[in-house]
Amino acid sequence: MSWDHLIDDRPADGVFRVHRDAFRDPAVFAQEMVQFFERGWVFVGHASQIPHPHDYITVRVGRSPVIISRDDQGNIHALHNSCRHKGAVVCPHSQGNRRAHLCPYHGWSYASDGRNLLIKDKTEGDYAPSFDTESHDLQPVARFAQYRGFLFASLSADVPPLEEHLGDVRTLIDLAVDQAPDGLELVPGVVHYRFQANWKLQLENTVDAYHFASTHPSYLRLLERRANMPERADAPKTIWQSQNKPKEMMGSFGFAQGHAMVWTTTPVENHPLFDQREQLQQRVGALRTQWMMRTRQLNVFPNLQIASSAAIQMRVIHPVSVDRTEITSYCLAPVGEDAHKRRQRLRQYEDFFNPSGLATPDDTVIFEDCQRGMTSGAIEWQQGHARGMQRRIMGPDEHATALGIQPLTSVSGTFEMSDETVFHAMYRHWAKAMA
Amino acid sequence: MTSLSLQTIHEVQTTLYQEALHLDAQRWDEWLGLFTQDAVFWLPAWTDEHRLSTSPERELSLIYCAARAGLEDRVWRVRSGLSVASKPLPRTSHAVTNCVVTPDPDDSERVMVDSSWTCHVYELKQRTQHVFFGTYQHHLECRQGLWRITHKKVILMNDQIPTMLDFYCI
Repeated sequence: MSWDHLIDDRPADGVFRVHRDAFRDPAVFAQEMVQFFERGWVFVGHASQIPHPHDYITVRVGRSPVIISRDDQGNIHALHNSCRHKGAVVCPHSQGNRRAHLCPYHGWSYASDGRNLLIKDKTEGDYAPSFDTESHDLQPVARFAQYRGFLFASLSADVPPLEEHLGDVRTLIDLAVDQAPDGLELVPGVVHYRFQANWKLQLENTVDAYHFASTHPSYLRLLERRANMPERADAPKTIWQSQNKPKEMMGSFGFAQGHAMVWTTTPVENHPLFDQREQLQQRVGALRTQWMMRTRQLNVFPNLQIASSAAIQMRVIHPVSVDRTEITSYCLAPVGEDAHKRRQRLRQYEDFFNPSGLATPDDTVIFEDCQRGMTSGAIEWQQGHARGMQRRIMGPDEHATALGIQPLTSVSGTFEMSDETVFHAMYRHWAKAMA
Repeated sequence: MTSLSLQTIHEVQTTLYQEALHLDAQRWDEWLGLFTQDAVFWLPAWTDEHRLSTSPERELSLIYCAARAGLEDRVWRVRSGLSVASKPLPRTSHAVTNCVVTPDPDDSERVMVDSSWTCHVYELKQRTQHVFFGTYQHHLECRQGLWRITHKKVILMNDQIPTMLDFYCI
């Protein structure tokens, strides 16, 4: 089945539209799962989740249970979490440390690198010689690779190398990782939530500057309210709170393979990096320091989002069905961060990024409102991918060129311009894969 | 061991029940009034299957308010009419049980209460319902004859959050 007709892409006419069936048709969803989650690179975890030999986490890649395990040599493996004997999940825990994984059904066991260690009572089992012509190891996932601690896997071997899949997004991941001299780690504590809406609403929302002021006025007004209460010592100042507000700028890049980023120039004086900006400039240069203090919302298609604003969020998207999505959300922070800065980071993260915070609930509830509204079959096309059309450049703009990256589309302008062409590269990639 | 009078146990438990009833009736001011100005409200995140965040300073929380002002922020947000997640507010029903009151050995005006709670949430947009459940740990002190909460830790056992969670759902 071909679905590329759901994207109405006519650059000469200034038209870019996405059909609502892309968000509501279960047949589209089934193909997306195969195309993007079972035949392409998918984010599976961060190396700091498994720092020691034999540490593991268990995840889902597409619909497959997978163990991400570090062996005694320190190498990381992505292994299908399914006993070769009868198929049982060999590791039922979400994380842990195991030298060997023992299948609870017939007792086959596997090393932390996936090697079969034992087939119970093998000698007594009178197996035919042909039995050992196939491997009894946990099957490795077809492709596994990492970029600077971000781990990716593909169930299909027929994918480009990870470097090629990520392309210039590597430069943007570098901007997150390099802000700390010793790199980033996950802060202990995982947040799980779900909503009754299509997964692409989350992908769109993160790079959608247009919604910020109208969806989150309660959060923004609350920040103003706090700023007017000088006696408040309980709530840290955020980057959106400032004495001198320069005119805010925004811009966006769309990349091949469906990745995208939106950036804004928020005031820098409450940014966690502000105090260290001189050291930072010496280490990474003036241009990169300036970029690190901008807000940057990055989509690594199809399932990873890295939001760098007051704090750094790593959000992982697990589509469940056409109208149901699960999210796992983590706080990334510099290794060795001092106690005061860590506290400030955590409070800002919790206020903004948690589904129990003061901003994200307004997004997740809106996703459900969108999904419910979109069930109306009488309406076919979204009108949400058109802003910025007259400004966008096919290729890199001066901001991209300065960073040395080659996006397929670039836009910059005032914050209020709030470009929507940032979605185009993702849907062009989508249409090509779904054709 | 210092023992507590039945009357003290009764008063303290009643304070917890009153708190739950205030939340379900959306009597936010009365609810806030049960907390001292410097009260801490903490809903830690889970770090593992059976391990909670132990430090709000170094580890992630779902909610951490270092003072009652943080709860007042949340009440302000709900009342502001500016939060789509708070319109319409769900109907909720809290149940608090298994209250075990422990005296402070050094201060007869302070107690700690461990309890179990459930909160049924009926969401009005889609007419769906879910239940949050877990345990509470309250620290209370008696001020001018009234028990007030100085510290409340909420443990949420089912932490896959359906869409959103706020102070009135836990």
